[in-house]
Amino acid sequence: MRLVGYMFSQTFRSIWRNKGSSFLSALTTGFALFLLGISFLVSVNLGFMYQMAETQMEIQAYMDKEATWTQLAGAVSQIREIPGVSEVKYVSKEDALEELREMFKDKASVLDSLEEDNPLPPNVRIKTVGAEHIPDVVEALQSLDIVDDVMYQEEVSRRLVQIGKAVQYLSLGGMLVVGLVSVMVIANSIRLAIDARRQEIGIMKLVGATDGFVLMPFLLEGVLLGLLGSVIGTGFAMGGYNWVSVKIAEFIPFMPIVGLDQESIWNMFGIMALTGVMVGLTGSAFSVRRHLRV
Amino acid sequence: MISLRNVSKVYNGNVKALDRVSLNIDKGEFVFIVGTSGAGKSTLIKMIYREETPSSGQVFVLGKDLSKMRRREVPYLRRRIGVVFQDFKLLEDKNAWENVAFALEVTGTPKREVNRRVTQVLNLVGLLDRRDAFPNELSGGEQQRIAIARALVRNPDILLADEPSGNLDPKTAMEIFNTLERANIYGTTVVVATHAHDIVDSLRKRVVELRGGTLVRDERRGAYNH
Ligand SMILES: Nc1ncnc2c1ncn2[C@@H]1O[C@H](COP(=O)(O)OP(=O)(O)OP(=O)(O)O)[C@@H](O)[C@H]1O
Ligand SMILES: [Mg+2]
Repeated sequence: MRLVGYMFSQTFRSIWRNKGSSFLSALTTGFALFLLGISFLVSVNLGFMYQMAETQMEIQAYMDKEATWTQLAGAVSQIREIPGVSEVKYVSKEDALEELREMFKDKASVLDSLEEDNPLPPNVRIKTVGAEHIPDVVEALQSLDIVDDVMYQEEVSRRLVQIGKAVQYLSLGGMLVVGLVSVMVIANSIRLAIDARRQEIGIMKLVGATDGFVLMPFLLEGVLLGLLGSVIGTGFAMGGYNWVSVKIAEFIPFMPIVGLDQESIWNMFGIMALTGVMVGLTGSAFSVRRHLRV
Repeated sequence: MISLRNVSKVYNGNVKALDRVSLNIDKGEFVFIVGTSGAGKSTLIKMIYREETPSSGQVFVLGKDLSKMRRREVPYLRRRIGVVFQDFKLLEDKNAWENVAFALEVTGTPKREVNRRVTQVLNLVGLLDRRDAFPNELSGGEQQRIAIARALVRNPDILLADEPSGNLDPKTAMEIFNTLERANIYGTTVVVATHAHDIVDSLRKRVVELRGGTLVRDERRGAYNH
């Protein structure tokens, strides 16, 4: 018990003694973990998108804004005739705005400016008997003059998933690089800590301290720096995520973003803390092996 | 207690620091190791607390064959051996008390036990009243006595000293050797490498002389020079 207390106090003193390099270590680790966090958050959203893609196989046909009522009504009955179509629902531009308003209850004021000159096109929502009909139906829709653009959730989701995957790979790749850098920065920090205590270490060994006792504070120091990094990383990832979600809600309202609940924050922190500990342990073990000869 | 059998030590493949040295030291003995600079005194001392291992031959200490000893056993050997050096090796940021207590703390000794033993040993070296002084507030002789206290605080079986009075004036040096003698009276085996002729001559202990790494003299109640 006394040994544990002794080691912890040694560790904290050592971190404090090398404030600068300790801080740098925690910060780089934090950055690496921030990238890991992004990848985690993206993957949470990807899962959500896959779900959406499965449940909402709905095609949206955006109609010509200038189209008259008769033209629109004609188009709707034409669409009903397309083989494979099971349900057709007409959504006027007013309805579309109202829907948007529903989706963004709290941020609806953003949409007030749209009221006067509603830019949303009227659209038709089509469900097919099965997913396999989607390509044919889409093609048929595109051949209609009155239809401006065709979108279907699966397509939207597929694109989002692609973007999400790209972001994920990039952040994971970045994390590996920055993670390697953090290992080196931590190793350096621990080397400084060892150098600062060379004489003390010599005496410890002379009077019969075990190797484990001598090196443990340094490993502990690495672990603590890694943990500190994970706190920093979680903070930045959460801050960044909130900022990005608000921006996305403003500019790409149809893009679904998963809100961060308590559980996913803890999951994320857990993953980061574990990785942080590993990074810290690797860095300190490296220095301890090289510079402590135990 | 300590037994060297045909011990040779070659540094870097060519410097022969010890050459087939055989030596037995019994429990409770007080032994001087003498010899000119480079004779191998420090090397011999290092063999005993396993700071160095022999290139050939065997070293037995406290019933253990050190050449067969595993790394992780070394700390437990060291806990039974106190070592003192010419340059004291005290930690500047700890006061006298803390320097001595350090040796116990790093092996997880309970606080009450630490207090008891540190008080005892500072009393033995006559520096209990300077317990709060930092090394830079102590004279060389006092610093060396603190170092001796640290070496003795675990009540070791063996006390090794490598030129403990090398940096001290003759009068202070005598005080140091008196302190070592006192530890010896309490039963600790003492081995001292030294250049201090006068003291060796006046104390009349066993003297082991090295020359160029070979043991050339082993004399009961000997003097510095033959
Ligand atoms: N670590 C080392 N590496 C290489 N050579 C060494 C090493 N330690 C000692 N030597 C050499 O071994 C020989 C014996 O050295 P040692 O330190 O044992 O002598 P000593 O009797 O203690 O001398 P002094 O009285 O000057 O302290 C010397 O020639 C020395 O240069
Ligand atoms: Mg020497």
